[in-house]
Amino acid sequence: MTSRRALKTVLIDLSGTLHIEDTAVPGAQEALARLRHAPVSVKFVTNTTKECKRTLLERLRRLRFNIEEHEIFTSLTAARNLLEQKMVRPLLLVEDSALEDFMGIETNNPNAVVIGLAPDHFNYQMLNKAFRLILEGAPLIAIHKARYYKRKDGLALGPGPFVNGLEYATDTQAIVVGKPEKTFFLEALRDLNCSPEEAVMIGDDARDDVGGAQNTGMLGILVKTGKYRAGDEGKINPSPHLTCDSFPEAVNYILQHLLEAK
Amino acid sequence: MADDKWTDCVNNLKGVILDMCGVLYDSGEGGGFPIEGSVEAVKRLKASDLQVRFCTNETQATREKFVAKLRRMGFEIDITEVFSPAPAVVAVLKERGLRPHLLVHDDVVPEFDSVDKNNPNCVVIGDAADYFSYQNMNAAFRVLIGLKKPVLFSMGRGRYYKETDGLKLDVGVYMKALEYACDLEAEVVGKPAPMFFEGVLTDMGIQPHEVIMIGDDLMNDVGGAQQCGMKGLQVRTGKYRPSDERHPTVTADGYVDNLAGAVDAILKHCGQ
Repeated sequence: MTSRRALKTVLIDLSGTLHIEDTAVPGAQEALARLRHAPVSVKFVTNTTKECKRTLLERLRRLRFNIEEHEIFTSLTAARNLLEQKMVRPLLLVEDSALEDFMGIETNNPNAVVIGLAPDHFNYQMLNKAFRLILEGAPLIAIHKARYYKRKDGLALGPGPFVNGLEYATDTQAIVVGKPEKTFFLEALRDLNCSPEEAVMIGDDARDDVGGAQNTGMLGILVKTGKYRAGDEGKINPSPHLTCDSFPEAVNYILQHLLEAK
Repeated sequence: MADDKWTDCVNNLKGVILDMCGVLYDSGEGGGFPIEGSVEAVKRLKASDLQVRFCTNETQATREKFVAKLRRMGFEIDITEVFSPAPAVVAVLKERGLRPHLLVHDDVVPEFDSVDKNNPNCVVIGDAADYFSYQNMNAAFRVLIGLKKPVLFSMGRGRYYKETDGLKLDVGVYMKALEYACDLEAEVVGKPAPMFFEGVLTDMGIQPHEVIMIGDDLMNDVGGAQQCGMKGLQVRTGKYRPSDERHPTVTADGYVDNLAGAVDAILKHCGQ
């Protein structure tokens, strides 16, 4: 711990860490309030391909979390930032519910491809269109590369297989913008004037939250809520800085051990 | 083109294998159109002493319908000279007692009439084109992910092909998607699988070094043939792109403008 600098920022995952579907993790609202009294910035980071920031915020406020919109950083925001940096016009293969986060971005005559989870768009015509753009040099930007996900009626293909197929077709590599990519975590810190060595990430996904953050130079805290399964902490190397029962415990640890010794 | 140095590699040539789509014809609305000079070129090849076979990864129609289409375009082709993946995969399914879930074009389904498809224990994927919907991909995925030992057969592994209205994604792309989703490796039936080419060689009864393959697909036609010990020629028609001639891993034995040019040079070199 000697080489670390004082803690400046706490990144917090949403689903599985602060809440599970429409139920808050017990004590999470109060723990967040305590964290806000400490001299640290807080940011909420999540991989989503279909929920815009406003939808996320509405759910969190319904669950009585004290959160501002500008504190939320999602994989969709990361994709948007990248589009703005590259000054490109995307073909957006994302669900309508995510379009709000791309408002104001020029999409006529596209020269880039953004892929989220969009079953309605994953048809032969649309993928051919994306393929031809990429072949002409358009960058392929993937919100994330999940293989599949669980739906009420069973397992369903995620965006990953379709991204992988287009990579094969065009002999190119997609730019993945969501967790666990380094750029995702660096982007989340960008406006906070904070280096990864001054940040800690709390999440329920060993690989995407904790592993990704630690690869970027942050500390990672794994909580045993949400998608956590016994033994997950052993699945990443190095193992999490800390594994604890839930978000309130993680906050206690930060307040007692990461902020005192200045 | 002047660069027919490659003809040195056709000494002792006894047979020619032709790819079809992109070499004989360009596919598209209404079936497509013959490539200029190709009808005549096939005729001249077949009039020579060389053995001629046709080797396609076409899986959008039964072999019968496909050959009938080409004959309507003017090509002198007999069904026994044509090798395509569907009959090959049917043979494998029967040999291994497998019952397929089909993710294929409706028009190729009759090839599988003789195969038991109840309670599937493998998936066969072909160039399904418009049938590659999310729902159909998902149905194939669920069969695979539900199997203890998932088996996926892919009829070819091409990346894309050319139709008159532009480039289209081929079966390989959807094969890759299912491979990635289920963390498995597909068994490819069709080009470039060595077994497929070997079947054609056996039918001709000649050695690989006596045969040249002519195709528009660098990886599957040229690369696949070379893997089997044949020579591989790429034509600059169909899906050919100039960058193919600078490919890092596969180099054709020769590049020619079209089939007519290739046949001219071969027949001249063979003294016929």
